[in-house]
Amino acid sequence: MNRTLLGFIRKELIQALRDPRMKFILFVAPVVQMTIFGVAISNEVKNIRLAAFFSPQDTVLRDVYERAIHGGWFVPAGASGAVAQDPFELIRADKADAVLVAPEGGFTRALGRGNARLQLLVDATNVTQAQSIEGYIQAIVARTLAADLGALPARPPIRFDLRVLFNPSLDTAIFMVPGVMTMLMVLTTLVLTNIAIVREKELGTFEMLISAPVSRTEVILGKTLPYVVIGMTNLPLTLAVAVFVFHVPMRGSMLALVVATLAFVCTTVAMGTLISTYCDNQQQASMGGFLFMFPAIMFSGLMFPIENMPASVRWLAFIDPLAHYLSLLRNIMLKGGGAETLIRHSAALLLLALVSGAASFKRFHTTLR
Amino acid sequence: MSEAAVVEARGLVVRYGDFTAVDRISFAVGRGEIFGFLGANGAGKTTTIRVLCGLLPPSEGGVSMAGVGYEQGERAIKEKVGYMSQRFTLYNDLTVGENLDFIASLRKLEPAAYRRRRRELLELIAFDKPMSAMVRDLSGGIKQQVSLAAALLHDPEIVFLDEPTAGVTPVGRERFWGLIRRVAGGGKTVFVTTHYMDEAEQCGRVALMREGRLVALDSPAGLKKTVFPEPVFEFDPIGRLSFDKLSAYKTHEAFSFFESYGPRFHAAAASPELWAAWAPRLEKLFRIRPIAPSLEDVFIRVVEARR
Repeated sequence: MNRTLLGFIRKELIQALRDPRMKFILFVAPVVQMTIFGVAISNEVKNIRLAAFFSPQDTVLRDVYERAIHGGWFVPAGASGAVAQDPFELIRADKADAVLVAPEGGFTRALGRGNARLQLLVDATNVTQAQSIEGYIQAIVARTLAADLGALPARPPIRFDLRVLFNPSLDTAIFMVPGVMTMLMVLTTLVLTNIAIVREKELGTFEMLISAPVSRTEVILGKTLPYVVIGMTNLPLTLAVAVFVFHVPMRGSMLALVVATLAFVCTTVAMGTLISTYCDNQQQASMGGFLFMFPAIMFSGLMFPIENMPASVRWLAFIDPLAHYLSLLRNIMLKGGGAETLIRHSAALLLLALVSGAASFKRFHTTLR
Repeated sequence: MSEAAVVEARGLVVRYGDFTAVDRISFAVGRGEIFGFLGANGAGKTTTIRVLCGLLPPSEGGVSMAGVGYEQGERAIKEKVGYMSQRFTLYNDLTVGENLDFIASLRKLEPAAYRRRRRELLELIAFDKPMSAMVRDLSGGIKQQVSLAAALLHDPEIVFLDEPTAGVTPVGRERFWGLIRRVAGGGKTVFVTTHYMDEAEQCGRVALMREGRLVALDSPAGLKKTVFPEPVFEFDPIGRLSFDKLSAYKTHEAFSFFESYGPRFHAAAASPELWAAWAPRLEKLFRIRPIAPSLEDVFIRVVEARR
């Protein structure tokens, strides 16, 4: 490797690793944040207050209700049983998070007639929680039916969600932890690269740098490669927390995970470089980072499913590296890694890396004054 | 200039949009010369230096730096020059050794040549701290000396020092100028910008810039002669004079120049006749003695000229 590049990498790593605060941000904060976020997010959908209204003869619905309570996710809302109350009022008064309402004449009899319709009212002020509740109840109803009737009815009264397949207990930690990994990864790569470049401009050392006969490629690679390296060291850290603390399965190949992560880190580092070409000081760099991070997290599919977005904004998810990496992580870790998904999202990441890399390369030149 | 020019600027123009930062500047500097660059802030000094360092291609005109210009590429120019910018040239969060190592790698110096050169330069600046000293712990003066060593690490023929003594103590400035003289004595051409007139006096020649133009270029003594052809006097007020009265002298018909100089004033006579007519009256108010103009007078008259 070229002497300039080596000198650059050495200098960048010394600078990044000398500051104890920086070391903390790079290596301790991700582990702590993973743990805290993971715990916080997985607790979110426990202790759901469930109410159900059914007559004593309605054995199937009673089964559903009891399974729900015994399953550990739900607690009785305190107003269940035969006495019918206004289910809307229960939710509005915040006495229950979800209410099961039997059809006319009872769920058991309706099943017998073959036109069973079970109504579930969910407090959707928290959309994510509501989706989880819906998923839980669907799963419980399906299992109850399978147990009570011996087999699923020919036309199941419920539609299965994909998440139910790969996360049967709907353990949100398993679903959310890859998202937290993604966010932490982008924080250490994009933000650090951006600030590392802008800091040189702000302090004036950048002028010294370019007063030497160095090429653009040397400067850009010299400033970015160290952060690719630092970003990659976050993978074993966060992965360890995911697997050992939250028992997120690691079903796919390690190699696929490393390749996907490398593609992602290259993309975010390239985007950080691109943002830095628009900033003159560290405040602007921080603002630029936030300006990127917020929409990037929104469109990543971490909080809101991309499939639910209107087509007019769905394309944003395509240029969002977080969305691709999140899909890759979930695909590799939870499903074991389908080749097609793997290739599609990795290719998208590489494309994004190339485009933002080329754009920053072009802009880097014009900002040398 | 005794030898062929090492630095040559031919009709340099630098425009940023509609703004012309540097407007048709031409000059030549010889080997081993200490060349001072003076002007108010925003006069175009730093921009000119950036062009000469290979950092900024000019909008028009050309340069020849030790024989190479932009035709050979910016990198060819950068090989020939060393640059110490007015802001930090060293990383505060690295040690002296790490800073020099990094600059050596930027310049792609061979390890053996680098070690030899580093020893020479640290001897030159008489650096007595360990290589593991953090730059942020050095005093301003020492930091600037190490910056100078860093700019000279690749043994360039020309070195640019952009306000190298800003924020340095008088003793530190004195020491730094001793270094500049030794560097120039060793055959390097030194370009230096400064706001200190006592430093400008130490330059072989001084160029004065105003609003992007080169308005004067000569030795300090030559500048004083050409800028002040008329006799110059020092005025020392005998009693207290009101501010209004003193301000009125600036436009008084007896003077072509009247500026405060500490508690005293420097003035140039507008003409022998007017001077003869006014002198008796002025001598009642001031102790007057003839003096040679200072470089500061030159600077004020040329750069901050009353128009």
